[in-house]
Amino acid sequence: MLAVLETRTIFGGETEAARVIFYLLALATLLLFFWGIYRRIRVYRVGRRPAGWRWLRRATKYDIPDVTARPGVSKSAAVIAANRSITKVKKPVGLAHLLVFWGFIGLFLATSILSLDYDILGNASRIVTGHTYSFFRGPFYLGYNAVFDLAGLLAIIGSVMLALRRWFSREPQLDYTRAEIPEGGYSRSKIVLGDQVFMVGLLLILVTGLLIQGLRIDGEGFPSFERWTWLGWLIGKMFASFGVGAASARSAHAWLWWVHVGSALAFIAYLPFSKALHILSAPTNLVVSDPANIRRLPAPPEGAAGYATFADFTPKELLAFDSCTKCGRCHYVCPARTAGAPLSPRDFILDLRQWSDRNNQIPLFLDSEDRPTPSGPLAGNGPLAGTVIKERTLWSCTTCMACVEICPVGVEHVPTIVQLRRSLVDRGEMDPTLQSALQNISTQGNSFGKSARMRARWTKGLDIPIPDARKEPVEYLWFLGDFASFDERLVEISRTLAKVLNSAGVSFGILYEDERNAGNDVRRVGEEGLFEMLVESNMRAFEKADFTRIVTTDPHSLNTLRNEYPAFGLDKEVLHYSELLAGLVYRGKVELKPLGRRVTYHDPCYLGRYNRVFDAPRAVIGASGCELLEMPRNRTNSFCCGAGGGRIWMDDSFLEERPSVNRIREAASLGVEYFVVACPKDYAMFSDAVKTAGLEESMKVVDIVELFSEALIGADLVEA
Amino acid sequence: MKIVVAMRQLADLVEELEVNADGTDIDRDFVKFVSNEWDEAALEEALCHKDDGDAEITVVALDEPDVDQTLYTALAKGADRAVKLTGHDPEGWIRTGDRAAILASWLERDDFDLVLTGVQAADDLDGQLAGVLAERLGVRHAAVVVGFHDADSAVQVEQELGGGTVAVSSLELPAVLGIQAARQTPRYASITRIRQAQQTQTIQEVEISAGGSLGGTVRKISPPKKRGGAEMLEGSASEVAERIAELIRSKGLARS
Ligand code: SF4
Ligand code: SF4
Repeated sequence: MLAVLETRTIFGGETEAARVIFYLLALATLLLFFWGIYRRIRVYRVGRRPAGWRWLRRATKYDIPDVTARPGVSKSAAVIAANRSITKVKKPVGLAHLLVFWGFIGLFLATSILSLDYDILGNASRIVTGHTYSFFRGPFYLGYNAVFDLAGLLAIIGSVMLALRRWFSREPQLDYTRAEIPEGGYSRSKIVLGDQVFMVGLLLILVTGLLIQGLRIDGEGFPSFERWTWLGWLIGKMFASFGVGAASARSAHAWLWWVHVGSALAFIAYLPFSKALHILSAPTNLVVSDPANIRRLPAPPEGAAGYATFADFTPKELLAFDSCTKCGRCHYVCPARTAGAPLSPRDFILDLRQWSDRNNQIPLFLDSEDRPTPSGPLAGNGPLAGTVIKERTLWSCTTCMACVEICPVGVEHVPTIVQLRRSLVDRGEMDPTLQSALQNISTQGNSFGKSARMRARWTKGLDIPIPDARKEPVEYLWFLGDFASFDERLVEISRTLAKVLNSAGVSFGILYEDERNAGNDVRRVGEEGLFEMLVESNMRAFEKADFTRIVTTDPHSLNTLRNEYPAFGLDKEVLHYSELLAGLVYRGKVELKPLGRRVTYHDPCYLGRYNRVFDAPRAVIGASGCELLEMPRNRTNSFCCGAGGGRIWMDDSFLEERPSVNRIREAASLGVEYFVVACPKDYAMFSDAVKTAGLEESMKVVDIVELFSEALIGADLVEA
Repeated sequence: MKIVVAMRQLADLVEELEVNADGTDIDRDFVKFVSNEWDEAALEEALCHKDDGDAEITVVALDEPDVDQTLYTALAKGADRAVKLTGHDPEGWIRTGDRAAILASWLERDDFDLVLTGVQAADDLDGQLAGVLAERLGVRHAAVVVGFHDADSAVQVEQELGGGTVAVSSLELPAVLGIQAARQTPRYASITRIRQAQQTQTIQEVEISAGGSLGGTVRKISPPKKRGGAEMLEGSASEVAERIAELIRSKGLARS
């Protein structure tokens, strides 16, 4: 008998007219929702598709080396399900989001099941058999209520946590102040309001949903099976204890029901035009985002130098703009922004989104920036690179990848930044110092403006011969890179490495004057033609030589040799010298005497984040008997020295505090005497930073090979 | 206005230059050649005029090592036509007098309003090319030019005199100008654009038979003798400061 009772009428106390109104409203809502979504998808459809549909998800993951390997669909799904991209930093925030995420999925399911039963099964059965069937009864009904009440509770807890953070937290990532301040000023109050509407809207839907449940049960006089609807039951009891009787509960239910339904419908209709869009776009973006993209930069659009018009953007990039939740994580970690440069990766994405929305006449009520005088993304005309995004903003990026690493929704800022830089380079708009570096690279193959024939001059001061890989077969071809070959301070370290390799019995050789700049930073500057020219020169040099694998001193060269050169025909394994040194230790080829120093280690962006080599340098440090104290920002969260992406060739005098100085202060707070690096550019940058910070007395920059060498042959450290 | 920019190739000074076996020239075998930086300024000034109005630019150069690179780069930057003059030994040292003769015999046949060239070059430090060329063509000449404006059949030239003084004078066209500096640093031509120019544009080759050399013969060139060199001051900061002060006083640069 119970089975008959264990249900509730859908549309409990509402009149026939109310029902009709509800369905009309629902219809209007759905129309608005799908129209909004359609408008956006239409935008993606205009995007430039590099080749067929393969851009969407690469077919196999086996056509690429490790670091660019893309997670399978199931793995992406697992990341999304566990909100792992959000929880990887700021655990409590991630947890709160996870509650909201699953809570709302639960509530969405609940509504869908109800609609399936009542609107579809109910109507279909009535039309076909004349009887209205329903499975919304009996044990199913009880279970349904018990489970989805839990979903509602989780969603409420999560939403309240997030709302409290939004209202009371002073975290810098929640601050919407722009990094690049437009001349006529700007206002982001509509963005702030948009956040509040989103959040308060969610809370309103949740709270009214639970309240009407309680009122309904109260109004029905607490039928005992409704205990399964535990949360509603409790709330109903609460009402009852305040003296709300069955009759007044029923009348309160009638109007509160409208508040609930009205706000839910409004939310759905508003979704495509607001921050809430990320509910759909973010998971999609996570599925199509590709770790190869940043490590192996995509080519410029067919027949163009770089991005100049809207049609140059790929659907993936356009989707990425719509996925950004303005969480500010990238804004917070960006070394350019930290240093006071007019670049924030968040603002970069938001500006492009606003520009795209404006271009496509997508109405935005909130979630957009206003400017008293139209400029930037609001400007009427002017080039994309230069007006929509300012030149200096584009040039400020060190391509450190911190933004891409931390973004919870899989936005890939750097490839887009480079595409825009490419059109600046095409127009010849750049720092004079960068221009002369590029000119030097194109005439002599190095950024130092030295003769190509001087590249191996550093070998002069050595009493051991450095084999010429073009003349004799070697196991390791040592690719030095410009800094290790030409910089006065660094050639000494190159000599040290040569001695170490020699005494460890490693078979190695160099290319002498045939080595050219590998082109990693040239490509990231946006000078694609020069990059290709350098690849051709280096590939010709590789062909002349006989070797098994490449080892390089320079993480930047490592990145391009390992990830980009294969597309041009390189089929050799590429190692970083820290990996080679660690290998010597592991295979017992060397014996090291412990040095017993307290050191810290700086992960170079292109070694760590880009190529995931974290352990080899640490193993070398450990093997040389040093105690490693980690800086707060280490491994994937390492802080850029400021030299990457061609920044080393540009003026940085406008920065408030150079990233390298910021980093050195971080290390100084640990009280270590040695700052260990594994990248020639780092050695140069941090040696300067130590002086700027006035820490010459207390801290010394050393290269891992110097530690290794000292522990191996007891040689002294090179004077910085 | 029809502007001709005459450009030359020089050994890249970042190379370690050596004297050849007979001691009459630098050893040209292994050095890299680049275009003369003052010629680059001349080209930039011409391009700026083209950006502002309706100049038509021809770049002309003698056949010399890596000259095609320079000419294609000029085309990539916006020059309308490139001409390479042949008929001499492209590997040897082309003396300024001979260079002027070869350029003049081509210019006599071509139509131009202005010829621009760098005011000097590493192998023409006294800046003779523009003057000799003007003389050979029988047209007017101005040197150390830092800017010019078009004024009908004449051109207003700004020349740098000593101490930052600028003289403005008017020259009747046609004329040859030795350019000291352009109004902005020479623009960058991306490799992609240069490669495009290589694929889509051609360098016109013209053979010139200018007859024998006009210059004298070089008997001997020698690398500069090392003199003095720098003295490194050692010691603590105050000792070094003391030494510097002493040196300044001893040279009579400051009253004590
Ligand atoms: S790559 Fe680094 S510097 Fe560039 S926008 Fe991202 S975080 Fe900032
Ligand atoms: S781009 Fe990513 S990390 Fe940056 S604000 Fe948007 S969602 Fe956050």
